[in-house]
Amino acid sequence: MYGWHLKLLRVNLTTHKVTTEDVDPQIARDYLGGRGWAIHYLYKEMNPAVDPLSPENILIFATGPLTATPAPTGNRYMVVTKSPLTGALAHSNSGGEFPTWMKRTGFDLFIFEGKASEPVYVLVNEDQVEVRSAAHVWGKDTHETTDILKAETSAEARVACIGPAGENLALMAAIMNDKHRAAARSGVGAVMGSKNLKAVVAMGNKNPPLHDTEGMRAISVETSKNVGADVKKGSNMRIYGTSYVPQVTNTLGILPTRNFLQGTFEHVHNVDGDALKDQYLIRHTPCYRCPLSCGRLTEVPDGPYKGKGEGPEYETISSLGTGCGVSNLAALVKANYLCNEYGMDTITTGMTIAVAMEMYEKGYISEELIGMPLKFGDHDAMIAMIKKMAYNEGFGKDLAMGSYRLAEKYGHPELAVTTRKQEFPGYDPRGSQGMGLLYATSNKGASHMEGDVAYEEVFGVPVKENPHSTEGKPELVKHFQDSFALIDSSGLCVFVAIRYVFDKNRLIWPQTLATMMNLSTGAGYTPEEVMKAADRVYTLERMFLIKAGSGPEWDVLPYRMLHEPLPDGPAKGMVAELDKMLPEFYEKRGWDEKGYPTKEKLMELGLPIN
Amino acid sequence: MIRIKMIANYRAVLPPEAKHGVIEIDVPDGTTVYEAISRFDIPLNDESVIVLNGLTVDMNTPLKEGDMVTAFSAIAGG
Ligand code: SF4
Repeated sequence: MYGWHLKLLRVNLTTHKVTTEDVDPQIARDYLGGRGWAIHYLYKEMNPAVDPLSPENILIFATGPLTATPAPTGNRYMVVTKSPLTGALAHSNSGGEFPTWMKRTGFDLFIFEGKASEPVYVLVNEDQVEVRSAAHVWGKDTHETTDILKAETSAEARVACIGPAGENLALMAAIMNDKHRAAARSGVGAVMGSKNLKAVVAMGNKNPPLHDTEGMRAISVETSKNVGADVKKGSNMRIYGTSYVPQVTNTLGILPTRNFLQGTFEHVHNVDGDALKDQYLIRHTPCYRCPLSCGRLTEVPDGPYKGKGEGPEYETISSLGTGCGVSNLAALVKANYLCNEYGMDTITTGMTIAVAMEMYEKGYISEELIGMPLKFGDHDAMIAMIKKMAYNEGFGKDLAMGSYRLAEKYGHPELAVTTRKQEFPGYDPRGSQGMGLLYATSNKGASHMEGDVAYEEVFGVPVKENPHSTEGKPELVKHFQDSFALIDSSGLCVFVAIRYVFDKNRLIWPQTLATMMNLSTGAGYTPEEVMKAADRVYTLERMFLIKAGSGPEWDVLPYRMLHEPLPDGPAKGMVAELDKMLPEFYEKRGWDEKGYPTKEKLMELGLPIN
Repeated sequence: MIRIKMIANYRAVLPPEAKHGVIEIDVPDGTTVYEAISRFDIPLNDESVIVLNGLTVDMNTPLKEGDMVTAFSAIAGG
């Protein structure tokens, strides 16, 4: 077989037993790879009702059929497990280099089961797999851990690991790879920590053989040329990464500001891409084989926030920055570095601190409880809170549970801006209606990465949609959800896939991606087949949610979005109009009026009926 | 007087007196969004997103005193 190795590695951390298994070629085809294969195995092997932090939870690392191929941005993997933050599904994507190295071990999938009695790391060097003691790196941050494990294995190895936040089971803990890249959301790092699994180290030379190497080379050159033409013209993604976005969302009045109390931030120019570029940017940094190269190496050269690392990206600016009312860029950059080093999702970290700030200002929690004043805009307090969260110290214990549990514990659940208990990313759905429907129905809780219709509502890619309108949004959201399930299963990065691989015309939209997957695997997919497979993946994830207890009753938006109109900006006076979209969305998905996939739909997709 | 705001790479087309990507210009009564923005060297096709006071509008909408027309490059990101 081509493209896929059709091999998975299973490591039982309780017994240290390592096994390898073949993947059924029909399953491979029907579920595409990456995120699709992962939900197939998770659904088949695990009771979705298990406690996510118990040994019964399964943690899957999954590459796709385009990972480690010449396809531009074929550098991704997915981390899939049951989320301790949401109680629903976690599927977090990351790039960098680790995913390519992981696939070069000769396995498409790593499945981790059980729980080690002592801290361990797993070294996979092709068929040599060892479960080794991690006692010497336990307690160390992600950067030190990466350096130490590379030094004791090989400079050719790549490392994915957790930091103190994951060890301490903070529900916003991320899995960091190559130091700066994060499978960030939904607490995947806490699952790793609960298994006493500090790191996974991958190396090998087993590039997947391709069905049509020459064809793959040609299509990759063509795609890279299109990216290159934009870069030459001065693509924002190359110059700024996503840090240019605060100016866009601020203009539209949907920039999360002070825990969504506002949609515009008066100091936005202090924390935007131009400020970052002028003050701290050293250079852009790519993930493996990416012609766009949107990463940023930055440095705060001196002062109290001195440091060097990557970021911040937009989502970090809109959470730890504007979300907390913070306008000190050096402090914000430092906060980003700390999250990377402690291994934390910046969105949930920032928006949880933002909720705490609002609760403090409203007098719902005291200075005594927190250990210091915690006003919006207090960047030093924000940094102090990050440390407390990572190390589970004092009030950090409350923060480490995320904003939903924090607000509920202190009697003000209406202040948590979450769906399925996960914090919103950087688009206020009161002024981008499609995003509201997306957040409410996303299988992983609020996330832009599960069908980012902001591409159309905000960025005009591939076509411009009016963000204030609800019309046509159910269809658009479904289309984007399936498209993202497809991309996440393929092994490509969405940034390049949406802009340079997908067609503007929705009817032939995934044609080039299907072609790439065929050149890789020889599966002979039609564009219709890959979209249907993506629908299968999405719907099976929904079935997982229903069995996990995070079903349709969670397809809701938080109080603020439905009942507190935006007070400022172009979307002033608006609320999220979920009820106008949800019934039609269920219908478009082939779900009944209560939000359950119908028997007919399950049969059409070849999914189990129970 | 109206305001023109350019975001990120589009700032390069503004004169040096622009502050945070915004300049003020005088335009004759009845000038449309399209006419105002076409004074600047940016692509006026689907490569750009152009909004009036942050809202999606018809490019032939006439401008009023104090209006702000913003343009940015249509590119995936975020
Ligand atoms: S576009 Fe950015 S995130 Fe995506 S692969 Fe390239 S460098 Fe990585």
